[in-house]
Amino acid sequence: MVLKCTGIPTNEDLERVFPSKERLEKGPIVVVECFQRIPCNPCHTACSKNAIKEFDDINNLPVVEEDVCNGCGLCVSKCPGLAIMVVDMTYSEKEAILKIPYEFLPLPEEGELVLGLDREGKAVDKVRVVKVLNTKAMDKTPVLFIAVKKEDIKRVRNIKLQEKEKKFQTACCSDLIEKNSKLSKDTVICRCSDVTLEQIRGLIKKGYTTFDEIKRISRVGMGPCQSRNCGQLVLREISQMTGTPISKLMLGTYRPTTKSIKLGEIAEAVDGGEHND
Amino acid sequence: MRIQEHPILSFERGEKVFFTYNGKKLEGYEGETIAAALHAAGIKVLSHSIEHLKPRGFYCAIGNCSSCFMEVNGEANVRVCVEPLKEGMVVNTQIGKGDLL
Repeated sequence: MVLKCTGIPTNEDLERVFPSKERLEKGPIVVVECFQRIPCNPCHTACSKNAIKEFDDINNLPVVEEDVCNGCGLCVSKCPGLAIMVVDMTYSEKEAILKIPYEFLPLPEEGELVLGLDREGKAVDKVRVVKVLNTKAMDKTPVLFIAVKKEDIKRVRNIKLQEKEKKFQTACCSDLIEKNSKLSKDTVICRCSDVTLEQIRGLIKKGYTTFDEIKRISRVGMGPCQSRNCGQLVLREISQMTGTPISKLMLGTYRPTTKSIKLGEIAEAVDGGEHND
Repeated sequence: MRIQEHPILSFERGEKVFFTYNGKKLEGYEGETIAAALHAAGIKVLSHSIEHLKPRGFYCAIGNCSSCFMEVNGEANVRVCVEPLKEGMVVNTQIGKGDLL
C-alpha cells in the first residue's frame, strides 16, 4: 500500500525483487524494481541471454533467471521506468558496484565523489563514480557505475552532484513556487475571464453545482481556452464542496473541436478545399 | 533564456532569422516557435486576459491554454507557442479579441 501511495518501495517490497545473498556473491546481477502490472516488455527484448523471460501476458511483472543473468546491464538503459539496476558484490572487499540509470544533467565525471541518495531521495553516504557509460545505443539514458559500501547496496539508488547543481537553475525561482503553491481566494481559476477561486466557491455555495450552471453565470469555460484550463479545477471545487465524486461530475455541454481552429478553415473545408484535408 | 542542453530532447536549430515584435527588430532561429524566440528575447507578457486585461505569459506551451494569442502578419489569435518562426514575421501584441477579417 505504501508503495502505491508514495511510489517508494519498502524493505519488504525490495526483498521480493532482490536476488538471494548467495547469488549476489557469485557476481553481477540485475535488480528489477518493477512492482506494477503494466503492458511493458523492453527488458525482455533487450536481454541477449534471455535471462528475463518472454512474457506470457505483456502485463506480467518481469521474472529474472538468476543463473542466466550475467549482469551485463543491457536492460538498464532500456527500461522506460528506470526501474533496473545491476549489483556487483564482487567489485572489492568492502565496496560493491551499482550500475544505475541516470537521466540528469550534468553527468558526473569518472572518479568524482557524489552524494548517494536512498529511494526517498535522502542522503545516505558519499559514493564514488567509477564509470559513466553514455553510448548512442543507450538512447540518452546514461548508466553510472558507482562504488558503494557493501552494506548500502539496498539503500543507495541514485546520486546527487553537490556543487555543480547551482549552474543549472530552472526558469522559475523555487521560493516563488513555494510561496504560490497554496491556493488563496484570489487564485485565478479561469485564466481567460479572470474568475477567482472565491467567486467559484461563492457560486457553488449559492447552489450552482454543475459545470454548466457555473459556466453560464460566470463565463468560465467560454473563453478562448474553452475550459481546457479551468474545467477540471471547477469540477474539483464542486466535488469538494458537494461531496460528489469527481468521476460522477460532467464537464457540461462540450462541443468539438478539440483544438481551436479558424472559422475560415471550416469554410474552406465546406467548399472542398484541399488545404485542410 | 533558451534551453541549451536537455537530458532527453535534442534541438535542431535552424538558420538565424529576423522578425519584428511591436515594431522592434528581434532575432530567433528557424524551426523554433515564435514564443520561444520572444522568451529568449526576454519578452514574458504575450497577451492579456479578456475581462480584466491582466498580463498572460508563456503557460501551457502546447497550444491548449490560449494565453499566447498574438497578431502575426496581420492575423489575429495566433497561438505563438505552437507557430513556427519564419523570416520577416510581423508579431504584434493583440488588443482585444481580434478581428476576424
